[in-house]
Amino acid sequence: MAHPAAGGGDLVSADGSMLVIEALARAGADAFVGYPITPTNLIFSHANARFPLFRSSTDEISAAQTMSGLSAAGKLPVTGTSFPGFALMLETVNMAFMMELPMVIVLGQRMGPSTGSATTGAQGDLLLLRGAISGGYALPVLCPSNPEDCWTLAAEAAKVAVSLRTPVVLLTSKEMLMTRWTVDLSALPEVRRVEWPAYDGDGPYVPYRAGEGLVPPFLPTCDGSHRTRFNASTHDETGLIRKASPGAIANTERLWRKVRERAGEFAFLDLDARDGASTLIVSYGMTAGAARVAAARLGKAGRPTSLLVLKTLLPLPQEALDAISRYDRVVVAEENLTGLLREMLHGTVGREGVTGVNAIGRMVSPDDIIKEVRR
Amino acid sequence: MSRILVESPSYPYCPGCTHTTAAVAIARALEAAGTDPLDVVVVTDIGCCGIIDPLLACHTVHGLHGRAVALGMGIRLGIEDPRKRVVVIQGDGGATIGLQHLLEASRLNVDMTVIVLNNMVYGMTGGQASGLSAREVREMRGMGDGAVPPYDLCSLAHAAGAAYSARVLATGDLQARLSAALAVRGLSLVEAVGICHAYGIASREDLERLAAPETVLVRDREPYSMSRRELPSLLDGAIRPRPSPEWASLPGTRLGVVIAGSAGEGVQIAAELLASAGIAIGLRSTKKGEYPITVGKGFSTAEVILSSDRIEYSAIERPDVVIVTSKEGMDAARGMLGNAAALVLDDGLEVPGGFTGTCMSAPFRKAAGAKGAALCALAYWLAESGVMPLEALEEVAGPHRHAVELRRAIESSRTCAGNIL
Ligand code: SF4
Ligand SMILES: [Mg+2]
Repeated sequence: MAHPAAGGGDLVSADGSMLVIEALARAGADAFVGYPITPTNLIFSHANARFPLFRSSTDEISAAQTMSGLSAAGKLPVTGTSFPGFALMLETVNMAFMMELPMVIVLGQRMGPSTGSATTGAQGDLLLLRGAISGGYALPVLCPSNPEDCWTLAAEAAKVAVSLRTPVVLLTSKEMLMTRWTVDLSALPEVRRVEWPAYDGDGPYVPYRAGEGLVPPFLPTCDGSHRTRFNASTHDETGLIRKASPGAIANTERLWRKVRERAGEFAFLDLDARDGASTLIVSYGMTAGAARVAAARLGKAGRPTSLLVLKTLLPLPQEALDAISRYDRVVVAEENLTGLLREMLHGTVGREGVTGVNAIGRMVSPDDIIKEVRR
Repeated sequence: MSRILVESPSYPYCPGCTHTTAAVAIARALEAAGTDPLDVVVVTDIGCCGIIDPLLACHTVHGLHGRAVALGMGIRLGIEDPRKRVVVIQGDGGATIGLQHLLEASRLNVDMTVIVLNNMVYGMTGGQASGLSAREVREMRGMGDGAVPPYDLCSLAHAAGAAYSARVLATGDLQARLSAALAVRGLSLVEAVGICHAYGIASREDLERLAAPETVLVRDREPYSMSRRELPSLLDGAIRPRPSPEWASLPGTRLGVVIAGSAGEGVQIAAELLASAGIAIGLRSTKKGEYPITVGKGFSTAEVILSSDRIEYSAIERPDVVIVTSKEGMDAARGMLGNAAALVLDDGLEVPGGFTGTCMSAPFRKAAGAKGAALCALAYWLAESGVMPLEALEEVAGPHRHAVELRRAIESSRTCAGNIL
């Protein structure tokens, strides 16, 4: 029934985890393996209520390895974890990156260091992700800024994982995953099942021979027509260990190039460039909500301020970098003490005119941001 | 019959290394079982034993150190055809790194064969002894803990539930044990104790003297499989309050409500009902909760925002009301009282010093009991402030499995005589 105040629609009260899991399932992710950890408890329980294949594992290393096995067998696995679990998974994430195994990792950030405070939100894991793959190769990282993004970016994460044959991280936080939001289901875009670009040639099948798009066509292990090889050690296109041979180096360079050169396929951001604005607020994830409120209030108060919400954090979209370079004054708002995005943008040296709004143990508020813009 | 070994294999191992013997035995056992190379995947670990992939004409997966069993388990669970075989090869180092994976695969009785080539040393890093080394080997390799016995891998796997666990000398009847293992449905483990000429036991005599006794342990169990389920959309079961025009709220509404009480006293449910009722009266809402590590003891607080506009920022900047129903709730909510417009208290609590907003007090705990106090107090405030009719709250409580108790708590607020302090 249409309602004047609500503007009609199909309104539900749903947590972000529900939207993430439902969108992933619709996109074709069919297996969940995980060890429950706050704040991804609801990711775990929703997955158990939704995914065709589900396994509660004994620990996060087992979870990530079992996911990798499922992926090699042609499934699209998902897990949910937070820093302590992700730290354990890190070697396996490298393995999956090297083997080129699609999977989606929902990382719910919580306050650290270490075990920290499980039920306190945070945005503290960005630089860990930036350096997650040994060698500095980019692990695609998408970051929802509101419940609708939980839906669309979860589906995009599945798509990127399959089309680039790579693990993808959906970087969220306690606030996004465990808060119950009002969501208009009728306004969510339809999620299409991701197509697997499986090899259909006559052979010989060369496991890591990439065609156009720098991604080798996939065949599941134990395929009945062609022999497959997957390898986590440095290998050439045959999938066999080749140390630092030219073929092996070329294959390793391709892993870097495929994510960089195809980054445009998943460069998501909201840029609201206001006429007359001299300041750009940059934010992502949970803090984007405060940034949106701050920019709106500043505009109403006669101080037009531009806003950039990053939804793809790795690799950083070129459009975002261009936008940032156009402003003399840039305020980067994020829920951490040290300014991780700021450091990723301009290094430890920083850039004149770029300052941060930071907090731990509480959400960055619109007032915090307004104060910094007006400073 | 097609061969599992590639044409003219070039063995990478040192002369006399039993890894060569094992590679041939594995291939022969698979061939003897009539396995087509495209029907088997060999999953290899790190170490000398793990560089076997190029010798094999079947599918191979070369993973991380110590993780091959967990990786193989994922592969087994992902391959739908039960006739396909999964064989895992690891060394003694990998076996202790990933001991949990072996125990778990055994507990589940995953249908695959795990071959541990135990040469009692880490061949790739200079011959350090391992958790599977005989005491004499530990002493010989200078580990300084020769009094400590090695793990008995077969007993551990058997105790955890593996269908078949065998220890055999790599110089002995290895192929026969491998054939027996491949014939098993469920987790089969073959620990082949062998020779590392470079660092470990170098002669057959020493091997026979120092290796733990050969053994075969069997258990008759069904193997595990991950059942595939068809489950409905989560959105079908989402909380979908039906907006009713008769309860339409005022445009421009934005309310922040904090409810604070004790765990197990219905704080979270009261807040969820408020969030749903907000949607029923045409608003948007957010709800979030905080509680200590244990959910059944200590404080429990919840924050609800009700707004005519889309909610971008989900924290409450200035609470319109803080509702407190217990001492623990008061302690947890104290930090939010500073700029709250109103406070609603159980009458057993004292108004905190320095609070300057409107304060209402009523006997919620007496009227609704401890479990209903939060909802009773919320209903009381809704009626007093006129934010929404109690019918909206009652309506959204309807589908709840404790609907009767919830409605009783809401009802009890009507008879609660309060004071404005
Ligand atoms: S180092 Fe030892 S285990 Fe490795 S190949 Fe040589 S003899 Fe075999
Ligand atoms: Mg060894």
